[in-house]
Amino acid sequence: MRPHRFLTATACAAALTVLPLAPARAQQGNLRERLEARGLPAELVDGVAAAAAEAEARGLPTDPLADRALEGWAKRVPTARILSVVRQFVGRMGEARETLRTTGLSAPAGDLVAAAAEAMSRGMNAAQVADVVRAAPASPSAAPSLRVATALSAQGMEMDQAVSVVAEAMHNRRGVEQILDLPSMMRAMQARGMTPPEIGNQLRLGGGPGGPGSVLRPGAGPGARRPGPLGTGPGAGRPPNQRPPRVTPGTL
Amino acid sequence: MSRHGFTPDEQRYLDGGPHGDVSGAGRAAADALVRAAEAYRDSIPDVGARLDAAVLGAVRARPRRARRPWRWAVDGRVRPLWIPLAAAAAAAVVWLGVPRVPAPSSSPVAAVRVADTVFVQFRLAAPAARTAAVAGSFNGWDPESVPMVRDADGAWVVTLPLPLGEHRYQFVVDGTVWRPDPTAPAQVDDGYGGTNSVIVVGPKGLVRT
Amino acid sequence: MRSVTFGSVSESRDGTGRPTDGSLVRAAQGGDADAFGVLVERSRRDFGRYAVAMLGDADAAADAMQEAFIRAWDALEDCRDPDRFRSWFFRILANQCRTALRRRHPAIAVDDVEVAAPDRADAAAERSELAARIDAALSTLTPEQCEAFVMKHVEGRSYDEMVALLGVSDDALKMRVYRARDALRGLLGDAR
Repeated sequence: MRPHRFLTATACAAALTVLPLAPARAQQGNLRERLEARGLPAELVDGVAAAAAEAEARGLPTDPLADRALEGWAKRVPTARILSVVRQFVGRMGEARETLRTTGLSAPAGDLVAAAAEAMSRGMNAAQVADVVRAAPASPSAAPSLRVATALSAQGMEMDQAVSVVAEAMHNRRGVEQILDLPSMMRAMQARGMTPPEIGNQLRLGGGPGGPGSVLRPGAGPGARRPGPLGTGPGAGRPPNQRPPRVTPGTL
Repeated sequence: MSRHGFTPDEQRYLDGGPHGDVSGAGRAAADALVRAAEAYRDSIPDVGARLDAAVLGAVRARPRRARRPWRWAVDGRVRPLWIPLAAAAAAAVVWLGVPRVPAPSSSPVAAVRVADTVFVQFRLAAPAARTAAVAGSFNGWDPESVPMVRDADGAWVVTLPLPLGEHRYQFVVDGTVWRPDPTAPAQVDDGYGGTNSVIVVGPKGLVRT
Repeated sequence: MRSVTFGSVSESRDGTGRPTDGSLVRAAQGGDADAFGVLVERSRRDFGRYAVAMLGDADAAADAMQEAFIRAWDALEDCRDPDRFRSWFFRILANQCRTALRRRHPAIAVDDVEVAAPDRADAAAERSELAARIDAALSTLTPEQCEAFVMKHVEGRSYDEMVALLGVSDDALKMRVYRARDALRGLLGDAR
């Protein structure tokens, strides 16, 4: 039944629209179906499927091809251009896999091949890819590390330095989660006026945005973390389908 | 009557129509009920004219076609919610204890973490836009499945739960104009002659500068 | 001023010169969000009190109304009689309110309601206490009774209006209202 009191006020600084989102990799289904479901024309679907068939035959992942095709189609890029990009990426993935093999991985996982190919498209060279991958204690952290390095580079850090920041972090036993925090930390430091080289040095020394004294919890794995200001306790955030508790302005 | 209640005449009296004898305790009770209802009516807060703008914003993002916005696989239902700023929303801005530098354009992307997904708020200032949406690696670049709505300040906003890791995206204005996010931390070539905005969602969320 | 629509003749403005609901609905069906916005404003004024009284909470009422407006927008082609948009919309809203009511936790007993005892017996304090008691008492009614009482005594609608809005027979509505009154009399007591 209805609650028995009116609330005195509504605290609403912004109208938030929260939409639940299906996981990006939820559609593991047939590549053709995935493209057709989005209305891609037959010619384009055929072309991508052909490229995917080649990739598959070579033992390379095909999801990134569909992703690129969907992106191009959504952006109204002409079919020929999309196919050119897709085919080119197949070639990149082949190169990436070769590079990964030089690090000792005889059968690198599809996601890692894709991440390496992506990183190489963004300017990381083979040696740098190898550096990151060799520093990864276990394969699963290699792919995110590559992406973090390219993100740092996209934020203005020299690729060499970005790679060594990430490699260093892994050598120091930082977990994937901490590595994923690096781009945000860089941004925070940029906001304080630090230059990318300064930031790179600080991050390599294990310092956080607060200076050398604030460290990245050296040696601590994810389980040892204290909940930060967000924490994961009550009130930290709610899945979109639950009604959040209502607050009055004074409590914010 | 053996139970608390009004006689048929008292009910008709309360209906405001012709009635028989109504007096004494029954009448007093009926009058009291009416008075109480009036007092209650006068105490009811207004639902607020702000609702109009919120609805209009939500409706503008839903062009009138038979097609429905894409559905969340588990819930089977997607709808914008006018959520008063409560715990989840209050945490939509992430502060890492970093002193805040007043910047002319603050980051539009702010985030809150719950387990391995982070609620990320996307924000776009586009006053002339009729519709706005986000499209990116997290939704197959679909320009229609994540509509944004205007908040009280007129900015376009939407909050999404995103898994940890890298995400690339652009805004799509008026259905066809693709724009990167001017205040995202990183921009990269999309391979098609355009630029994608990049965010890396870590467990602490994203830093708002 | 009359405007002629293909296939039929309809009024687009009422006696005071404002656009009629019907003309706004037709425009909105064609995709005119601003026309829908006017309907939203009018409907909110008409039914906002109902929603707040039903749900006991302005926030919940706003949520329910927003949801109802969005559903109305999505299903606008189902509004067969555009001139009676508000009745059609009301059904959607009433549905939302009833659903919201069912989802809530059970009502608290009226006795548990803490109503500040007035230190002086002034009219304002008394009215505020009465309002609080009704508020609490409504929580104990079924959604249908609550709705009927709210429409009759809080909104002050006639039975005819209620029949038109709810699509329920006059007799059935009276039964709900009578039961609600009986329940409330019992809860409020015969004091004052």
